[in-house]
Amino acid sequence: MRKQDLFRLCLQNLLRKRSRTFLTVLGVVIGGCSIVIMVSLGIGMKEAQDKLLAQLGDLTIITVTAPQGGHGKVKLDDALVRRLNGLNGVEAVMPRQSLEVDTVRLTAGSANRYVADWVPVVGMDAAQLEPMGFRMLEGGPIAKTGDVIVGQYAAYNFRDTLRPDGANTVDRWSGGWDENGQLTDPPPAYFDPLKEKLTLELANGDYKATLVLHPVALAKEDYSKGSETSEGIILDLKDLKALAEKLHTVKKGASPYQSILVKARSLNQVADLEKQIKALGCATESMESIRKPMEEEARRKQMMLGGLGAISLVVAAIGITNTMIMSISERTKEIGVMKALGCYVRDIRQLFLAEAGVIGLMGGVVSCVISWIAALIANLAAMGGPTPDNFRLALLGGEGATRVCVTPLWLLAFAIVFSVLIGLGSGYYPADKAVRIPALEAIKSD
Amino acid sequence: MSEPTPRTRPIIEVRGLRKEYPLGDETVVALKHIDLTILRGEICCIFGTSGSGKSTLLNQLAGMEKPTRGEVRIGGAPISRMSEEQLAAFRQRHLGFVFQAYNLLPGLTATENVAMPLLFRGVPPAQRDAAAREMLRRVGLAHRLDHYPAQMSGGQQQRTGIARAFLARPDVVFADEPTGNLDSKTTVEVMEMICGFARDFHQTIVLVTHDPEMAQYADRIVTLIDGEIVRDETTKRRELQ
Repeated sequence: MRKQDLFRLCLQNLLRKRSRTFLTVLGVVIGGCSIVIMVSLGIGMKEAQDKLLAQLGDLTIITVTAPQGGHGKVKLDDALVRRLNGLNGVEAVMPRQSLEVDTVRLTAGSANRYVADWVPVVGMDAAQLEPMGFRMLEGGPIAKTGDVIVGQYAAYNFRDTLRPDGANTVDRWSGGWDENGQLTDPPPAYFDPLKEKLTLELANGDYKATLVLHPVALAKEDYSKGSETSEGIILDLKDLKALAEKLHTVKKGASPYQSILVKARSLNQVADLEKQIKALGCATESMESIRKPMEEEARRKQMMLGGLGAISLVVAAIGITNTMIMSISERTKEIGVMKALGCYVRDIRQLFLAEAGVIGLMGGVVSCVISWIAALIANLAAMGGPTPDNFRLALLGGEGATRVCVTPLWLLAFAIVFSVLIGLGSGYYPADKAVRIPALEAIKSD
Repeated sequence: MSEPTPRTRPIIEVRGLRKEYPLGDETVVALKHIDLTILRGEICCIFGTSGSGKSTLLNQLAGMEKPTRGEVRIGGAPISRMSEEQLAAFRQRHLGFVFQAYNLLPGLTATENVAMPLLFRGVPPAQRDAAAREMLRRVGLAHRLDHYPAQMSGGQQQRTGIARAFLARPDVVFADEPTGNLDSKTTVEVMEMICGFARDFHQTIVLVTHDPEMAQYADRIVTLIDGEIVRDETTKRRELQ
């Protein structure tokens, strides 16, 4: 039989018993809808969670430190940096050196009007800043000695020596913050750090050092890369090493670096990379320990939701099988006649499989349309009304969109393919029954 | 059919055919030992009362069931030993059926029902529908081409069935009580139509019936009692030809 004829016969048979076909398709629609909606709820949950995690900082950064209590065993030095660079899945390695000195004082403004004490000052490999994913709010790269990057809120550390105590600082939190802990409207600091020259004065016992700093860029706050991006000053490692030497802060044989940041190439590689670094004898720290349980929890919830949906699809599958078996017992004679007239067994099998498959297909397509619309409505409701802007966010997502249901195209395609497979699967047994009906049935009179 | 005396060539050959059915713990012998040769172009009536084994014999001849012993050949092909797949292909090319209950598919129009044997062969729609319409015109149903079986009388349905059986010009047409559900006037019409086609296309008809009236249409009457051939007679009709 030609494929077109097979398909036409199949549709004719389905249309002959309209109400029965409708009810069976309805079963598949309910099953399909529940799966799609459950899974999109799960994806929506995941999306919200990822957004939350992203606010915590760069999730691919691992902070490597010397192991507790294992002094001297592993030294955080250039040799270790080279070894870390050779590990599998490493995007960039960034040694961090801070100054352990008695006093740190930063001054700015004319006649050193603005003063900050205890500002964190670290040295980092300027060439690695970009590969590590450090983000600058404005400004350019470190080019020469004395060039520094200042933290996003570093300027708020300065007090104005010309004002009285208690009113000589700017509180950056006074503007309030939103539910995610982001400052909404911080008041301006006393000066723009990118336009001022800073003077760094350091003292370590008898040793003293002074360096004039030229801020070249303002870092974006990111705690996974260190608090300096928020409140501190980042020097090029070379400059810091020179200062450390002058001040004699590094004892002979001690680790030159306090910590080393390692960036994994992707999120999936973080756990493995962390294991490799631990194997080298170092202690590590990353967002993985927060992310992992959250992700597992999300996956558990997704599985639970998907399972609920799957139950209704199983019921739908039984419905298809039942319908097909009924249809076959009604059409026993017809099948016998078809065989007597020379219809091939494979054509009969294909005919019944096609009928079951088409039921699945129709159910799948309809359930996709319904659940897509349902998801849209749920999202619009969650966003507070059908404004054009909300429509765009509900459909495409994006920054600031809190979608309850996320229905990606692949999910819809999967739902359709899955429904067809469910149909074919449920049609398999009835089709097998059909082909075993003998041509003799055509002659039997009942 | 170019041979001068085709009637003398056998089309169906039955050798030592036996069919038993299990019935509970016992075995029922439906056909004891049948030897039968039906010639090409013959209209052969298999006559018997119910339980005589005539339906079982038809099933065997048409390859609907496998025999317990013996062999059935049609045109030399051993249909009693064919697989389902081979049988389907063989039926498409060589066999036609007229049923007592017409057995038209209720979801298809008269034209589609008649075209079915060609549909199974994979003939394109335009071609097979044209052939089906031509056949329906021949059986006098030119005005019923797009009617569904439920919209036609019994006689019209059976004429549609006949059109379907003869559409692919099969070598042998099996007719199982073809007039069993029809009144006497329609019976005459239907039987004359079947015999007319058979003679026009030089086809072999195997007619199974319990009705002695039917015998007048046959060239040959094979009478079955208790699974055995008790009489095999050539009728006057044949001698006249």
